[in-house]
Amino acid sequence: MSAWQTVRLIAGREVRQRLRSRMFVGTTLALSALLVLGALGPALLGAFERTPDDEPVAADPVRVAVVGSLAPAETAALEATLGPLTTVPAANEAAVVSALEEETADLGIIVGDRVLTPPATGMFAVGTGRAFQAAETLALTEVLDAVGASGSAAAVLGVEPLPVEVIGEDDQALQAARLIAANLAVVFIFAMLMFYASMIVNGIIEEKGSRVVELLVEAVPIRQLLAGKVVGLGTIALGQMFVLFVPATTVLVLANRDLIPPGIGGMLAIIGLWFALGYALYTLISAGLGALVSRPEEAQAVLTPASLLALVGYVVGFAAIQAPDASFAVVAGWVPFSAPFVLPVRQLVGEPTSLEVAGALVLVLLAIAVVALLAARIYEGGILRVGARVGIRDAWRGSSR
Amino acid sequence: MLELRNLRRSFGDVVALDGLSFEVAPGELCGFLGPNGAGKTTAMRCAVGVTAADAGEVRWRGQPIDLAVRRRTGYMPEERGLYPRMRVHEQLVYVARLRDVDAEVAARNADRWIDRLGIGERRDDPVEQLSLGNQQRVQLAAALVHDPELLILDEPFSGLDPLATDVMSEVLREQADAGVAVVFSSHQLDLVEDLCRTVAVVARGRLVLDGEVAALKAAGGRRLRVATDGDDDWTARLPAGAAVVSRRDATVTVALPPTLDPGAVLDVARRSGRLVDVHLDQPRLSELFRTAVADRPDLAAELTEVDR
Repeated sequence: MSAWQTVRLIAGREVRQRLRSRMFVGTTLALSALLVLGALGPALLGAFERTPDDEPVAADPVRVAVVGSLAPAETAALEATLGPLTTVPAANEAAVVSALEEETADLGIIVGDRVLTPPATGMFAVGTGRAFQAAETLALTEVLDAVGASGSAAAVLGVEPLPVEVIGEDDQALQAARLIAANLAVVFIFAMLMFYASMIVNGIIEEKGSRVVELLVEAVPIRQLLAGKVVGLGTIALGQMFVLFVPATTVLVLANRDLIPPGIGGMLAIIGLWFALGYALYTLISAGLGALVSRPEEAQAVLTPASLLALVGYVVGFAAIQAPDASFAVVAGWVPFSAPFVLPVRQLVGEPTSLEVAGALVLVLLAIAVVALLAARIYEGGILRVGARVGIRDAWRGSSR
Repeated sequence: MLELRNLRRSFGDVVALDGLSFEVAPGELCGFLGPNGAGKTTAMRCAVGVTAADAGEVRWRGQPIDLAVRRRTGYMPEERGLYPRMRVHEQLVYVARLRDVDAEVAARNADRWIDRLGIGERRDDPVEQLSLGNQQRVQLAAALVHDPELLILDEPFSGLDPLATDVMSEVLREQADAGVAVVFSSHQLDLVEDLCRTVAVVARGRLVLDGEVAALKAAGGRRLRVATDGDDDWTARLPAGAAVVSRRDATVTVALPPTLDPGAVLDVARRSGRLVDVHLDQPRLSELFRTAVADRPDLAAELTEVDR
């Protein structure tokens, strides 16, 4: 039997046992239901109160700032594709840009030259889609006007639309979404890390207390036992994330696609990545510490060092939401124990350099490797000593066998 | 052949194993005896790799015991050990799978042992809901579910009722008959005497007696109980080597060296009167055990309560 098969077997048992725990499954489902309810609120509101911005074919006319003058045929063609229009004359390009920025216009046209548009809102790029439609319509109208009804089809098909220019960068919705995501990320990562730390410690205590560990280590190398537990609980954590977030997101999508914060995919990926790294780091530390004790009432006490480390990371991460690029946040990003809290915040609401992100990743991965070695040794030294708490030095010095 | 060779292990100042050596052949059922703290559990844990010896080695079929051998070993720890919340059948399958048994075979074996040990009705109950006796049956099944070639059981009989004791004895004998090397520790000396062909007695980490039970008993000297209707002053004329162990009314118990013919004692006794009662006994294992441990008072006095 290969090491991986053994690890998978042990991980499989962990997964099955958790899934059989009514408490665990019940709590997860209840939380998921709460999130769905939370998503339903804005979804329902959104379904009834759609603002013109959200809705390209709303009854409200599209406001177009125009430099130059549109021919009647062009206006008619635009109305055919975009719906009713209100045209607002503008003196020059700068006037169009400021109208777009102040949201007194939805679209800008510099006749015969370019189409200007504010950045996309929502996942499906409502604003910019409208601009591209307008650009194409105008170009087509011009061509048709020039060649007349007898013009060749090739001329029509070969038409180049006007260039489209996007004015401004992030919009406020995106900023708000990132801020919310950063807050959620810190709380979520901290809560999950603490939850899984105590989960792995309680599992280890169960094995020590029931002495089943003797039966296990007879047949399985102790390190594979540890790896199996970490992988098994990690699988459960992934599944739990899925159950927590997928139903709520699905509700949002079904209710109104425009309600999904822009860039949510990237944000979730960032949170997921840092959670996974934090999970590996803190679960391994907890497993090493957990092997030192034998009674459930000692679990919290033995976890204190890990909890304190995570708590510091949590506090710094939270503070970093207000000042993501302040020097304390930059420094904390280089510390592997706080990076899983600080880096997602910085990536969501700040502007870390790619060196800072890559460096933090490398350092955390290195820390995980070192912690894995240390934890495995302490785990080996403590796992078979039932009874009084084992000193960390004792566990380190001698394998318990 | 399971060979424990010159095993040494200390826990701090406590010497648990002090050069212990003995052997168990395949097909043998060996009782592993000793007072509390003698080192039985430590020796067994060394044999299955749960405890590492400071010195010495454990071999199976001439090779040092490694992971592959341990996976073919059935082990029942002293403190017992099962996942309390895991179901009986599932748990047995898991234990077998960890020992590299194919999933289907593991499921079949688990069912076979569940039926054989009479816990079929509890097949899908969590272990913690079973009585202690039934938990012990599950524990035995966990030691057997992967068809081991070596069985090492720490006090498998403790806490069993007479019926469960019979089942356990039967299973152990069957395993030995099938060629498995079986060694188990126990304080129930009469049971060991009936069940085992060989024993090993350990005191303070050292072997003080071992061999076939029958040979040990034969070598241990017999006891002759004699009652006459005359005086008991005949005991003053006993042949050399014979010694009075006890007197009660007219009944005298005499210990005989292995070479002495009991008839020689009877001849002496007959001279003082008619023989009323005559009984020739081999010593019980429990007596041999006490003698073996007491013969080393230096050890016996120092026995600690720590049986690690």
